[in-house]
Amino acid sequence: MTEAEVIELIDSSLAEEFELERTDMTPEANLYDDLGLDSLDTVDMVIVLEGAFDFKIREEEAIRAIRTLDDIHRFVLSKIEQHS
Amino acid sequence: MGMKVVTETQNKPVAESTASIAIIILMNLWAYPILILWTLFGILVFPLLFVLGRLFLRWSADRLTRWFIWLYGRGWFLLMSPFVRFDREQMAVIKTETPHLFVVNHFSFFDTFCMALLPVHNIIFAVRSWPFRMLWYGSFMRLARYLDVEGERWEDVLDSCKIAFAANGSVLFFPEGHRSRDGRLQRFYSGGFKIAIAAGIPVIPLCINGTDRLLPPGRKLMRPCRICLKALEPIDTGNFGEKDGHLRLRKLVKSRMASSLAEMRGEVE
Repeated sequence: MTEAEVIELIDSSLAEEFELERTDMTPEANLYDDLGLDSLDTVDMVIVLEGAFDFKIREEEAIRAIRTLDDIHRFVLSKIEQHS
Repeated sequence: MGMKVVTETQNKPVAESTASIAIIILMNLWAYPILILWTLFGILVFPLLFVLGRLFLRWSADRLTRWFIWLYGRGWFLLMSPFVRFDREQMAVIKTETPHLFVVNHFSFFDTFCMALLPVHNIIFAVRSWPFRMLWYGSFMRLARYLDVEGERWEDVLDSCKIAFAANGSVLFFPEGHRSRDGRLQRFYSGGFKIAIAAGIPVIPLCINGTDRLLPPGRKLMRPCRICLKALEPIDTGNFGEKDGHLRLRKLVKSRMASSLAEMRGEVE
Protein backbone atom coordinates (compact mmCIF):
# COMPACT_ATOMS: atom_id res chain seq x y z
CA MET A 1 0.00 0.00 0.00
CA THR A 2 1.32 3.43 -0.86
CA GLU A 3 1.19 6.27 1.64
CA ALA A 4 -1.60 7.90 -0.36
CA GLU A 5 -3.61 4.68 -0.32
CA VAL A 6 -3.17 4.35 3.44
CA ILE A 7 -4.35 7.91 3.97
CA GLU A 8 -7.32 7.36 1.66
CA LEU A 9 -8.30 4.21 3.54
CA ILE A 10 -8.06 6.02 6.88
CA ASP A 11 -10.12 8.96 5.69
CA SER A 12 -12.79 6.91 3.95
CA SER A 13 -13.15 4.57 6.95
CA LEU A 14 -13.48 7.46 9.40
CA ALA A 15 -15.87 9.34 7.09
CA GLU A 16 -18.11 6.28 6.89
CA GLU A 17 -18.03 5.51 10.61
CA PHE A 18 -18.53 9.06 11.84
CA GLU A 19 -20.67 10.48 9.03
CA LEU A 20 -18.00 13.05 8.22
CA GLU A 21 -17.91 15.26 5.14
CA ARG A 22 -14.77 14.54 3.16
CA THR A 23 -14.36 18.24 2.41
CA ASP A 24 -13.95 18.90 6.15
CA MET A 25 -11.29 16.23 6.49
CA THR A 26 -8.17 18.26 5.97
CA PRO A 27 -4.95 16.95 7.58
CA GLU A 28 -4.87 19.78 10.08
CA ALA A 29 -8.52 19.30 11.10
CA ASN A 30 -8.83 18.81 14.85
CA LEU A 31 -10.85 15.67 15.52
CA TYR A 32 -12.76 17.23 18.37
CA ASP A 33 -13.05 20.94 17.56
CA ASP A 34 -13.34 20.72 13.78
CA LEU A 35 -14.81 17.30 13.06
CA GLY A 36 -17.09 17.11 16.09
CA LEU A 37 -15.83 13.83 17.52
CA ASP A 38 -15.90 13.30 21.27
CA SER A 39 -14.87 10.89 23.99
CA LEU A 40 -17.46 8.32 22.88
CA ASP A 41 -15.84 8.20 19.45
CA THR A 42 -12.33 7.41 20.62
CA VAL A 43 -13.07 3.72 21.15
CA ASP A 44 -14.87 3.49 17.80
CA MET A 45 -11.96 5.23 16.08
CA VAL A 46 -9.55 2.61 17.40
CA ILE A 47 -11.88 -0.21 16.31
CA VAL A 48 -12.23 1.33 12.84
CA LEU A 49 -8.47 1.60 12.40
CA GLU A 50 -7.86 -1.90 13.74
CA GLY A 51 -10.46 -3.26 11.33
CA ALA A 52 -9.10 -1.35 8.35
CA PHE A 53 -5.44 -2.25 8.88
CA ASP A 54 -5.66 -5.52 10.80
CA PHE A 55 -3.48 -4.50 13.75
CA LYS A 56 -4.06 -4.01 17.47
CA ILE A 57 -3.58 -0.49 18.77
CA ARG A 58 -6.05 -0.14 21.65
CA GLU A 59 -3.33 -0.46 24.30
CA GLU A 60 -1.05 2.08 22.61
CA GLU A 61 -0.28 5.14 24.71
CA ALA A 62 0.30 7.23 21.57
CA ILE A 63 -3.43 7.07 20.81
CA ARG A 64 -4.09 9.48 23.65
CA ALA A 65 -1.93 12.15 22.02
CA ILE A 66 -3.85 12.13 18.74
CA ARG A 67 -5.58 15.43 18.07
CA THR A 68 -5.67 15.97 14.31
CA LEU A 69 -6.36 13.87 11.27
CA ASP A 70 -2.70 14.20 10.34
CA ASP A 71 -1.78 12.73 13.75
CA ILE A 72 -3.80 9.64 12.79
CA HIS A 73 -2.17 9.44 9.35
CA ARG A 74 1.31 9.59 10.87
CA PHE A 75 0.42 7.16 13.65
CA VAL A 76 -0.96 4.54 11.24
CA LEU A 77 1.92 4.97 8.79
CA SER A 78 4.42 4.44 11.59
CA LYS A 79 2.56 1.32 12.76
CA ILE A 80 2.59 -0.09 9.23
CA GLU A 81 6.30 0.64 8.97
CA GLN A 82 6.93 -1.16 12.27
CA HIS A 83 5.02 -4.21 11.06
CA SER A 84 6.74 -4.40 7.67
CA MET B 1 -25.14 16.13 6.72
CA GLY B 2 -28.10 15.79 9.13
CA MET B 3 -31.57 15.10 7.79
CA LYS B 4 -33.80 18.09 8.14
CA VAL B 5 -36.63 17.86 10.62
CA VAL B 6 -37.73 21.44 11.16
CA THR B 7 -39.34 22.18 14.48
CA GLU B 8 -42.82 23.54 14.69
CA THR B 9 -41.45 26.66 16.32
CA GLN B 10 -38.89 27.13 13.55
CA ASN B 11 -41.52 26.51 10.91
CA LYS B 12 -44.21 28.75 12.30
CA PRO B 13 -42.72 31.60 14.30
CA VAL B 14 -46.07 32.79 15.62
CA ALA B 15 -46.15 35.71 18.03
CA GLU B 16 -47.47 34.66 21.41
CA SER B 17 -50.87 36.11 22.28
CA THR B 18 -51.59 37.45 25.76
CA ALA B 19 -53.70 34.37 26.47
CA SER B 20 -50.98 31.95 25.44
CA ILE B 21 -48.39 33.87 27.49
CA ALA B 22 -50.70 33.54 30.49
CA ILE B 23 -51.02 29.79 29.88
CA ILE B 24 -47.25 29.42 29.60
CA ILE B 25 -46.76 31.28 32.89
CA LEU B 26 -49.46 29.20 34.56
CA MET B 27 -47.96 26.00 33.20
CA ASN B 28 -44.49 26.81 34.52
CA LEU B 29 -45.83 27.90 37.90
CA TRP B 30 -47.39 24.44 38.04
CA ALA B 31 -44.93 22.18 36.24
CA TYR B 32 -41.69 23.02 38.03
CA PRO B 33 -42.93 22.91 41.65
CA ILE B 34 -44.99 19.78 41.00
CA LEU B 35 -41.98 18.08 39.40
CA ILE B 36 -39.92 18.84 42.52
CA LEU B 37 -42.70 17.62 44.81
CA TRP B 38 -43.27 14.50 42.72
CA THR B 39 -39.55 13.72 42.79
CA LEU B 40 -39.37 14.24 46.56
CA PHE B 41 -42.43 12.05 46.99
CA GLY B 42 -40.83 9.40 44.83
CA ILE B 43 -37.60 9.48 46.84
CA LEU B 44 -39.55 9.13 50.09
CA VAL B 45 -41.92 6.39 48.95
CA PHE B 46 -39.31 4.36 47.08
CA PRO B 47 -37.95 2.43 50.11
CA LEU B 48 -41.45 1.23 51.02
CA LEU B 49 -42.31 0.20 47.46
CA PHE B 50 -38.93 -1.43 47.14
CA VAL B 51 -39.46 -3.61 50.22
CA LEU B 52 -43.03 -4.50 49.18
CA GLY B 53 -41.86 -5.29 45.66
CA ARG B 54 -39.10 -7.54 46.91
CA LEU B 55 -41.57 -9.33 49.19
CA PHE B 56 -44.48 -9.79 46.81
CA LEU B 57 -43.15 -9.51 43.24
CA ARG B 58 -39.79 -11.10 44.08
CA TRP B 59 -38.08 -9.13 41.31
CA SER B 60 -34.40 -8.25 41.45
CA ALA B 61 -33.47 -4.88 42.92
CA ASP B 62 -32.49 -3.44 39.56
CA ARG B 63 -35.69 -4.55 37.83
CA LEU B 64 -37.78 -3.15 40.67
CA THR B 65 -35.98 0.16 40.36
CA ARG B 66 -36.63 0.25 36.62
CA TRP B 67 -40.30 -0.43 37.27
CA PHE B 68 -40.32 2.36 39.84
CA ILE B 69 -38.70 4.78 37.38
CA TRP B 70 -41.34 3.83 34.81
CA LEU B 71 -44.11 4.52 37.37
CA TYR B 72 -42.46 7.86 38.16
CA GLY B 73 -42.72 8.73 34.46
CA ARG B 74 -46.34 7.63 34.35
CA GLY B 75 -47.15 9.87 37.31
CA TRP B 76 -45.44 12.77 35.59
CA PHE B 77 -47.75 12.32 32.57
CA LEU B 78 -50.74 12.67 34.85
CA LEU B 79 -49.34 15.79 36.50
CA MET B 80 -48.52 17.38 33.15
CA SER B 81 -51.82 16.40 31.52
CA PRO B 82 -53.51 19.80 32.01
CA PHE B 83 -50.93 21.24 29.60
CA VAL B 84 -49.47 18.35 27.63
CA ARG B 85 -51.23 15.70 25.61
CA PHE B 86 -49.37 12.39 25.47
CA ASP B 87 -49.99 10.03 22.57
CA ARG B 88 -48.35 6.85 21.39
CA GLU B 89 -48.52 4.98 18.12
CA GLN B 90 -47.84 1.43 16.98
CA MET B 91 -46.95 0.13 20.40
CA ALA B 92 -48.33 -3.26 19.33
CA VAL B 93 -45.02 -3.96 17.56
CA ILE B 94 -43.36 -4.20 21.00
CA LYS B 95 -43.67 -7.64 22.51
CA THR B 96 -43.56 -7.61 26.29
CA GLU B 97 -41.08 -9.93 27.98
CA THR B 98 -39.06 -10.05 24.75
CA PRO B 99 -35.67 -8.34 24.66
CA HIS B 100 -35.23 -5.47 22.25
CA LEU B 101 -32.74 -2.73 21.68
CA PHE B 102 -34.59 0.56 21.40
CA VAL B 103 -33.12 3.60 19.70
CA VAL B 104 -34.84 6.96 19.98
CA ASN B 105 -34.19 10.48 18.73
CA HIS B 106 -33.38 13.14 21.30
CA PHE B 107 -34.92 16.61 21.55
CA SER B 108 -35.28 17.39 25.24
CA PHE B 109 -34.35 16.56 28.83
CA PHE B 110 -37.90 15.21 29.16
CA ASP B 111 -37.45 12.56 26.44
CA THR B 112 -36.31 10.12 29.12
CA PHE B 113 -39.51 10.74 31.11
CA CYS B 114 -41.53 10.04 27.98
CA MET B 115 -40.09 6.54 27.68
CA ALA B 116 -42.72 5.61 30.26
CA LEU B 117 -45.12 5.75 27.31
CA LEU B 118 -43.64 2.40 26.30
CA PRO B 119 -45.70 -0.62 27.32
CA VAL B 120 -42.66 -2.22 28.97
CA HIS B 121 -40.79 -1.08 32.05
CA ASN B 122 -37.81 -3.44 32.12
CA ILE B 123 -35.55 -1.16 30.10
CA ILE B 124 -31.95 -0.26 30.85
CA PHE B 125 -31.04 3.18 29.59
CA ALA B 126 -27.61 3.66 28.04
CA VAL B 127 -26.54 7.22 28.80
CA ARG B 128 -23.47 9.41 29.08
CA SER B 129 -21.68 10.01 32.38
CA TRP B 130 -23.19 13.34 33.39
CA PRO B 131 -26.72 12.13 34.29
CA PHE B 132 -25.19 9.83 36.90
CA ARG B 133 -23.93 12.94 38.66
CA MET B 134 -27.45 14.31 39.21
CA LEU B 135 -27.89 14.13 42.97
CA TRP B 136 -31.58 13.21 42.92
CA TYR B 137 -31.51 10.71 40.04
CA GLY B 138 -27.98 9.25 40.09
CA SER B 139 -28.48 6.70 42.84
CA PHE B 140 -31.68 5.41 41.19
CA MET B 141 -29.88 5.08 37.86
CA ARG B 142 -27.08 3.11 39.46
CA LEU B 143 -29.56 0.90 41.30
CA ALA B 144 -31.41 0.30 38.01
CA ARG B 145 -28.05 -0.69 36.45
CA TYR B 146 -28.24 1.96 33.77
CA LEU B 147 -25.22 1.96 31.50
CA ASP B 148 -22.61 4.69 31.53
CA VAL B 149 -21.47 4.35 27.92
CA GLU B 150 -18.97 7.15 28.35
CA GLY B 151 -17.32 5.94 31.53
CA GLU B 152 -17.45 2.16 31.18
CA ARG B 153 -15.33 0.02 28.89
CA TRP B 154 -16.99 -1.08 25.66
CA GLU B 155 -16.59 -4.76 26.57
CA ASP B 156 -18.28 -4.19 29.94
CA VAL B 157 -21.20 -2.35 28.31
CA LEU B 158 -21.65 -5.21 25.85
CA ASP B 159 -21.54 -7.79 28.65
CA SER B 160 -24.10 -5.84 30.69
CA CYS B 161 -26.42 -5.67 27.68
CA LYS B 162 -26.13 -9.39 27.07
CA ILE B 163 -26.98 -10.08 30.72
CA ALA B 164 -30.02 -7.79 30.44
CA PHE B 165 -31.20 -9.46 27.22
CA ALA B 166 -30.76 -12.93 28.76
CA ALA B 167 -33.14 -11.84 31.53
CA ASN B 168 -35.69 -10.67 28.90
CA GLY B 169 -34.86 -7.04 29.57
CA SER B 170 -34.33 -4.39 26.92
CA VAL B 171 -31.77 -1.64 26.44
CA LEU B 172 -32.43 1.86 25.15
CA PHE B 173 -29.94 4.11 23.38
CA PHE B 174 -30.13 7.72 22.26
CA PRO B 175 -27.94 7.19 19.18
CA GLU B 176 -27.45 10.93 18.67
CA GLY B 177 -25.78 11.19 22.07
CA HIS B 178 -26.96 14.77 22.54
CA ARG B 179 -30.21 16.68 22.31
CA SER B 180 -30.78 18.17 18.89
CA ARG B 181 -30.57 21.94 18.97
CA ASP B 182 -31.93 22.58 15.48
CA GLY B 183 -34.62 19.94 15.06
CA ARG B 184 -32.42 17.87 12.76
CA LEU B 185 -31.45 14.28 13.35
CA GLN B 186 -27.79 14.45 14.23
CA ARG B 187 -24.96 12.04 13.58
CA PHE B 188 -25.69 8.60 14.99
CA TYR B 189 -23.14 6.83 17.18
CA SER B 190 -22.55 3.19 16.33
CA GLY B 191 -22.43 1.63 19.81
CA GLY B 192 -26.06 0.56 20.11
CA PHE B 193 -26.12 -0.95 16.64
CA LYS B 194 -22.95 -2.95 17.26
CA ILE B 195 -24.46 -4.29 20.48
CA ALA B 196 -27.72 -5.31 18.80
CA ILE B 197 -25.79 -7.21 16.11
CA ALA B 198 -23.37 -8.81 18.57
CA ALA B 199 -26.22 -9.95 20.82
CA GLY B 200 -28.55 -10.91 17.94
CA ILE B 201 -31.33 -8.72 19.32
CA PRO B 202 -33.85 -6.86 17.11
CA VAL B 203 -33.70 -3.08 16.98
CA ILE B 204 -36.91 -1.12 17.46
CA PRO B 205 -36.56 2.50 16.30
CA LEU B 206 -38.66 4.96 18.29
CA CYS B 207 -39.57 8.45 17.15
CA ILE B 208 -40.49 11.09 19.67
CA ASN B 209 -42.03 14.36 18.60
CA GLY B 210 -43.19 17.38 20.59
CA THR B 211 -40.66 17.47 23.41
CA ASP B 212 -38.75 20.11 21.45
CA ARG B 213 -41.85 22.25 21.89
CA LEU B 214 -42.16 21.34 25.59
CA LEU B 215 -38.59 22.20 26.55
CA PRO B 216 -35.80 22.27 23.97
CA PRO B 217 -32.17 22.67 25.05
CA GLY B 218 -31.27 26.20 26.09
CA ARG B 219 -34.80 27.19 27.15
CA LYS B 220 -36.19 27.42 30.67
CA LEU B 221 -39.89 27.89 30.04
CA MET B 222 -42.03 24.87 29.21
CA ARG B 223 -44.81 25.23 26.67
CA PRO B 224 -48.06 23.36 26.19
CA CYS B 225 -47.76 20.76 23.47
CA ARG B 226 -48.69 17.36 22.17
CA ILE B 227 -46.04 14.70 22.59
CA CYS B 228 -46.17 11.55 20.51
CA LEU B 229 -44.00 8.46 20.77
CA LYS B 230 -44.16 6.13 17.79
CA ALA B 231 -42.61 2.67 17.56
CA LEU B 232 -41.43 1.54 14.14
CA GLU B 233 -41.28 -2.05 12.92
CA PRO B 234 -38.56 -4.12 14.61
CA ILE B 235 -35.47 -4.76 12.49
CA ASP B 236 -33.95 -8.22 12.71
CA THR B 237 -30.19 -7.84 13.10
CA GLY B 238 -29.37 -11.36 11.92
CA ASN B 239 -28.63 -10.10 8.41
CA PHE B 240 -26.10 -7.49 9.48
CA GLY B 241 -23.31 -9.74 10.71
CA GLU B 242 -20.81 -8.84 7.99
CA LYS B 243 -17.84 -6.52 8.59
CA ASP B 244 -19.19 -2.98 9.00
CA GLY B 245 -22.73 -4.36 9.08
CA HIS B 246 -23.44 -1.89 11.89
CA LEU B 247 -23.01 0.95 9.40
CA ARG B 248 -25.67 -0.53 7.12
CA LEU B 249 -27.99 -1.08 10.09
CA ARG B 250 -27.36 2.43 11.39
CA LYS B 251 -28.16 3.98 8.01
CA LEU B 252 -31.33 1.92 7.65
CA VAL B 253 -32.56 2.88 11.12
CA LYS B 254 -31.73 6.54 10.63
CA SER B 255 -33.46 6.63 7.28
CA ARG B 256 -36.64 5.06 8.70
CA MET B 257 -36.62 7.41 11.67
CA ALA B 258 -36.11 10.47 9.46
CA SER B 259 -39.04 9.47 7.24
CA SER B 260 -41.28 8.76 10.19
CA LEU B 261 -40.36 11.98 11.98
CA ALA B 262 -41.02 14.00 8.84
CA GLU B 263 -44.43 12.36 8.59
CA MET B 264 -45.21 12.94 12.28
CA ARG B 265 -44.28 16.60 11.91
CA GLY B 266 -46.32 17.07 8.75
CA GLU B 267 -43.26 17.75 6.60
CA VAL B 268 -43.81 15.13 3.95
CA GLU B 269 -44.08 16.83 0.57
